Amino acid sequence: MSNAGRQKRQTLVGLGVLALGLGLGAGAYGIPSDAGYAGVGPNFLPWVVSAVLVLCGGWVIREARSGGFRGMEPPSGAEDGHWPGFVWVSAGLLLNALLITSVGFILSCTLCFTLAVRGLRTAEGRHDMSPRSWLVDIASGAAIAAPVYWMFTKLLAINLPGLTATGWI
Amino acid sequence: MELWNHLLGGFATAGTPINLLWAFIGCAVGTAVGVLPGIGPAVAVAMLLPITSQVDVTASMIFFAGIYYGAMYGGSTTSILLNTPGETGSMVTAMEGNKMAKSGRAGAALATAAIGSFVAGSVATVLVTLFAPVMADFAVTLGPPEYFCLMLLALTTVSSVLGQSTLRGITALFVGLAAGLIGMDQITGQVRYTGGVPELLDGIEIVLVAVGLFAVAEALYAVLYEGKTSESQNAMSRVHMTGKEWRRSWPAWLRGTVLGFPFGTIPAGGTEIPTFLSYGLEKKLARDKSEFGTTGAIEGVAGPEAANNAAVTGTLVPLLTLGIPTSTTAAILLGAFQNYGIQPGPQLFETSSSLVWALIASLYIGNVMLLVLNLPMVGLWVKLLKIPKPQLYAGILIFATVGVYGMRQSAFDLVLLYAIGVLGVVMRRYDFPTAPVIVGMILGPLAEAQMRNALAIGEGKWTIFLERPMSLTLLAVVVAVLVVPRLFKQFSGPAIKDLPNH
Repeated sequence: MSNAGRQKRQTLVGLGVLALGLGLGAGAYGIPSDAGYAGVGPNFLPWVVSAVLVLCGGWVIREARSGGFRGMEPPSGAEDGHWPGFVWVSAGLLLNALLITSVGFILSCTLCFTLAVRGLRTAEGRHDMSPRSWLVDIASGAAIAAPVYWMFTKLLAINLPGLTATGWI
Repeated sequence: MELWNHLLGGFATAGTPINLLWAFIGCAVGTAVGVLPGIGPAVAVAMLLPITSQVDVTASMIFFAGIYYGAMYGGSTTSILLNTPGETGSMVTAMEGNKMAKSGRAGAALATAAIGSFVAGSVATVLVTLFAPVMADFAVTLGPPEYFCLMLLALTTVSSVLGQSTLRGITALFVGLAAGLIGMDQITGQVRYTGGVPELLDGIEIVLVAVGLFAVAEALYAVLYEGKTSESQNAMSRVHMTGKEWRRSWPAWLRGTVLGFPFGTIPAGGTEIPTFLSYGLEKKLARDKSEFGTTGAIEGVAGPEAANNAAVTGTLVPLLTLGIPTSTTAAILLGAFQNYGIQPGPQLFETSSSLVWALIASLYIGNVMLLVLNLPMVGLWVKLLKIPKPQLYAGILIFATVGVYGMRQSAFDLVLLYAIGVLGVVMRRYDFPTAPVIVGMILGPLAEAQMRNALAIGEGKWTIFLERPMSLTLLAVVVAVLVVPRLFKQFSGPAIKDLPNH
């Protein structure tokens, strides 16, 4: 990664911290300060956290712009991210959130598993899109999701959403 | 004598067939998650937290303790064979143990790690048995000002001592504190930062943040940056130590235990410092230093491994007697207690005496089980390393879904889980430590409540923290923790300062 690129990304991280601090501060305005006997009310800690995060954000930006983060371990792995793979895994996770209540745990998690395996495999440089590999992935996803579902619903009586109300699928 | 009766009572509770079964499953699950890369004890306990709604409290605590312990044993196996430490505590094992494995002595390294963990775990459990009740008696005398200062100390050390940069540690801590602010204020019931989302009224679940930061972030990081990284596995050899290796190992185990336990008990947490100290000590004491860092010295595995386990056991002392977690897993365990409506602290030994003693007894039992599970069966666990990475991480995502969804049955939480996973990737990429987020999130609301109670006692005056000798002492320690390492750096000569990035 080029130096300028690294500086830019690190600055962005600092801006993120700064924005979080400012956002918390904006929110703290709306919290009443009624302190009772204590001298400080429910808005005290929000102000402290907001102020410290603004300071930290500023300092992180300063470090980023003056030679980069101090004492930084070089991150493991590749220099640039493999974004297509990231999209696959993200799609799996977000579709899971979207569908879990309507199609049930097993089907939704199988889908998440299948998409995530796809993504992780493309990241390894293997683009196997044959119907057979899809089938194998779907089957292995179901083979993990189904027993987990049964263990929770049947054995531990913990409520997980199903396609039917039988507790089997 | 009373202690002895309590402990026997604990063994009677922990020794029922059903509780033994929970201990066994816990140890097995723990070893498995320890061996598998990408998932550690904190996440495993977090993902299994939903069972707290159904399983009785003693059984689930025995189960979780088994996972906590088991993961330490399993983690050393991966460090030695793959050189990928699962958590910071096994970093040293990864250095020296992997060297040993490379020169064909994987079996001896695994044996000294497992037996050392057993020795340290057992000795440390005896120490917990002896010290925890004394500590609890002492803790009863503490008031809100002292508690607040103790928590402040825990928060300071977690964020500023560990990790490379105090700035990034503090930032992570305050991100955690910010997450802890969401929901209803403990004292007045005032709603904060929910943005009108009803799901946020009860706050963000600690499980969600832990699973997001560790499991989901791990999967996302793997797909983004580590697709092309290939790992080479060292060849196994027979798990066996020669007489000479035994003679070299046992003093190192004992020294490691003595170093590790105190670090676990003080609210200054972390297994990183004692393991590195132990490594340094062993290197210093060794007659033949040529093996260190080259072919691998057995003391360099034995000492740190023992220190790691002793420290992990030691963290139970502040957790049980003060209700202060000093590691990520301890924070999650605290969450588990809270799910049952139990607040660990000095009263725990009075109100839930049978639970506490059953938990302590189960540690003795768990240690024996783990030795059996790990020494003869290590070949079986190593097979887990053969699971291909895509299937492993995708499978972890299914378990992550169960853990998070099973907690509150909310699809909104799954979206939040993804968002926190992305945050975790950024944190890892830019070297922000994650432990302060978790500890800050769970300790923040508790510390805030103690602080406001303390101020109420002091009629709104901040001087209350300076007027009481104990809280004043603790504040001085907090300042020392922040200042001393810096002074040390300043005076240890220009050599360190001149290094880039220091």
